[in-house]
Amino acid sequence: MNLDLVICGVGGQGVLSIAWVLDHAAHEAGLHLQQSEVHGMAQRGGAVSAFLRISDRPIASVLIGQGSADVLMSVEPLEVLRYTQLLKPDGWIVSDVTPMVNVPNYPAMADLTRVLFAAPRLVAVDATRLAQKAGTIKAQNMTVLGAAAMHLPLSTAVLEKHIAALFERKGERIVNANLHAFRKGDSASRFTQTLLDAGVPGPLVAQVVSHIHFPPHPVATDVVQEWQQRLLSDQAVSAVEELLAHEELTRLQPHADLAATV
Amino acid sequence: MTDLILLGDEAVARAAIDAGITAAYAYPGTPSTEIYQSIAEHAKAEGLPIRGFWSANEKVALEEAVGVSYAGCRALVSMKHVGLNVAADPFMNLAISGVHGGLVIVVADDPSMHSSQNEQDSRYFADFAMVPCLEPASQQECYDMTRAAFELSERMQIPVLLRLVTRLAHSRSQVQLAPARRPNALNYVADPSRFTLIPANARRAYVDLIGKQAALTSYSEQHAYNTLMLREGRRPGILVSGMAWSYLQEALGDKLADYHLLRVATYPLPLKKIRRLMDQSTELFVVEEGYPLIERFISALGLMQELPIRGKLSGDLPRTGELSQDLIKPCFGLSVAPTLQLEGLAQVLVGRPPQLCDKCPHSDAYIAIKEVLAELGTGVRVMGDIGCYTLGYLEPHQAIHACLCMGASIGMAIGAAHAGVKPSLCVIGDGTFTHSGMAPLMDAARENTNIKVFILDNSIVAMTGGQPTMVTDDEVVNLVAGLGVPRAHIRIVEPTAHKKHQTVATIREELAYDGLSVIVSRRACVTYAKEIKEIKSHRREIPVVAA
Repeated sequence: MNLDLVICGVGGQGVLSIAWVLDHAAHEAGLHLQQSEVHGMAQRGGAVSAFLRISDRPIASVLIGQGSADVLMSVEPLEVLRYTQLLKPDGWIVSDVTPMVNVPNYPAMADLTRVLFAAPRLVAVDATRLAQKAGTIKAQNMTVLGAAAMHLPLSTAVLEKHIAALFERKGERIVNANLHAFRKGDSASRFTQTLLDAGVPGPLVAQVVSHIHFPPHPVATDVVQEWQQRLLSDQAVSAVEELLAHEELTRLQPHADLAATV
Repeated sequence: MTDLILLGDEAVARAAIDAGITAAYAYPGTPSTEIYQSIAEHAKAEGLPIRGFWSANEKVALEEAVGVSYAGCRALVSMKHVGLNVAADPFMNLAISGVHGGLVIVVADDPSMHSSQNEQDSRYFADFAMVPCLEPASQQECYDMTRAAFELSERMQIPVLLRLVTRLAHSRSQVQLAPARRPNALNYVADPSRFTLIPANARRAYVDLIGKQAALTSYSEQHAYNTLMLREGRRPGILVSGMAWSYLQEALGDKLADYHLLRVATYPLPLKKIRRLMDQSTELFVVEEGYPLIERFISALGLMQELPIRGKLSGDLPRTGELSQDLIKPCFGLSVAPTLQLEGLAQVLVGRPPQLCDKCPHSDAYIAIKEVLAELGTGVRVMGDIGCYTLGYLEPHQAIHACLCMGASIGMAIGAAHAGVKPSLCVIGDGTFTHSGMAPLMDAARENTNIKVFILDNSIVAMTGGQPTMVTDDEVVNLVAGLGVPRAHIRIVEPTAHKKHQTVATIREELAYDGLSVIVSRRACVTYAKEIKEIKSHRREIPVVAA
């Protein structure tokens, strides 16, 4: 078993905290790990990344070679595009869709999402807003980790244990907010997987998933099926348009009207 | 013992503690900062009696460590590669005098210049000084080789250089620790001639140093990490060193068995093993991180004709930047893997360079400086220095026009003024000023050179993660005055938007004065506000003592 992961974002978004949780979870699972990270000058509002390699055998290089990453995980939608040359053609991209605009030439969101949403295996979540709803906007990194969890060879229980350990000294409220954020991400990821497996076009799935307020537990099967049918029917485009018309994330409810916003 | 997940830097730190160091000294610099930081944190947490601190600069750090060694105890000094330039004087001379208690100098090189102004290769420095150099390729080797370095240093009575590179210093993996050793007892050098390098003693000591070389080479020949693996018959061979070993294994995988192989992890080079490798090889690939040091030696600068040597000098591997498995693969006829292609990627993928933090005092300082400079027209030059404020070179400020090395801004401004540049300005942070800016300021004070020195006092060494500065606030003013700058031309401004008018007025006044001015731009770093408060709460009071 080998898994190569790229974790990226902008300085201050908690990229290294994601790496910390994964390191300790992999270690507890008895796996070898190599994890590189960026320190120093680049951390000043610049692009930050960590490479994580996990294996059941010793790992030689800390660097991830071109086309060998299994998952790209990003807390920022532009940053994830910086590392696509490392991703396997069938690798997963997991990204927050909320942009961190601190450069004057940041691309238009429509252009950015057009490129990103064309990725064949993509979990696009509004991690920033999901984290906010989980209790702290700072947990956006843990939402992203949650959204990647099902593609990692590490159990949710072990990941959650180390999330709790990481935030322990900040108190119970912060621990719970981070765990909720993580579970919301996981819920989004499972929802995404089901829709993609059913044959719903990737860009459509990305648009839907990034506009939904996921609960901190898997979405009920009947709700997923309802969405699946809707997105495979000829009402798909109007359903998405309706979703996008809302400024807020839409909460999923069984048999509920799409307009039931939070 | 259980294993821990450690950075390469942290593995070195833990090894030094377990090797029984009495003290550790360092000057912060990416990618070496976490070494001393980790020693200090661990010593504090465990209540270990390890002395040391962030020294004034790398030269001082090494000299402090030499004092520990003189007393028979072990010491670790850590710095980034360019820091060894600052410490070069004690380093070269310590090789001559030799050490008493074990002394290890950890130098973290930065190939690809992730956070540096050059990518110099510290193996050259070790070779220059004729001291051994150990080059780990994993976090475990960081630990093991640091332990071994202390043993070697003490046994051979020579300083040992441990060379790290960014990727190793700043990567984590599991590390197994070995049982700790007790620190040495105080046992200072009895023979004063050993550390007194007057010519008569130094000549003798130099002969001793040369005499140690055979034993050091023999150490390398026998070292378990310098593994020679000869396959059957004559075939291509590979000589690989340092971190390149990790990339080579990744690049070649099972195909490594098709080549004769020698891994080198210690210097001076194991010449007999290299000779045996060359004798069995039809051609030789040299794969090393940094400068083509080994390739240069064994190819005699390309003059040696008996065997084709392929590496960085021959153009088979890139001459600049850090290596990777993907850069090594083509050299061996291997292709890199296919990758996800996204349409339109190039159009949206813009850069995101590092920048000054929101509400950074340096931004306000640059805004004020730029406003005054705009009144003076083009041709004004501002010499910059090393720290967060080097980012003033980039947009949106574009306020500095040079940056050479730590502390260079003041000397360069003096030279520019002598050449006729008027006004000649420079900016330097409070940390860099005490590192190496005081000496040039004394030059300017003695002559009253017409330069305008901005000391950006943000109360912390911010760029490397918030280490304490030597002086801040009024201490800066007193220090500057003590160096000979008249108090009338030491001005204090507060870099904020609402005080910009006053700041600009003060700068104008000093520009009108034909002589040396120091303008202290004083406002604490916003990012490390909490740390600054903590540091200031422990600040010593300096009593004024009458003569």
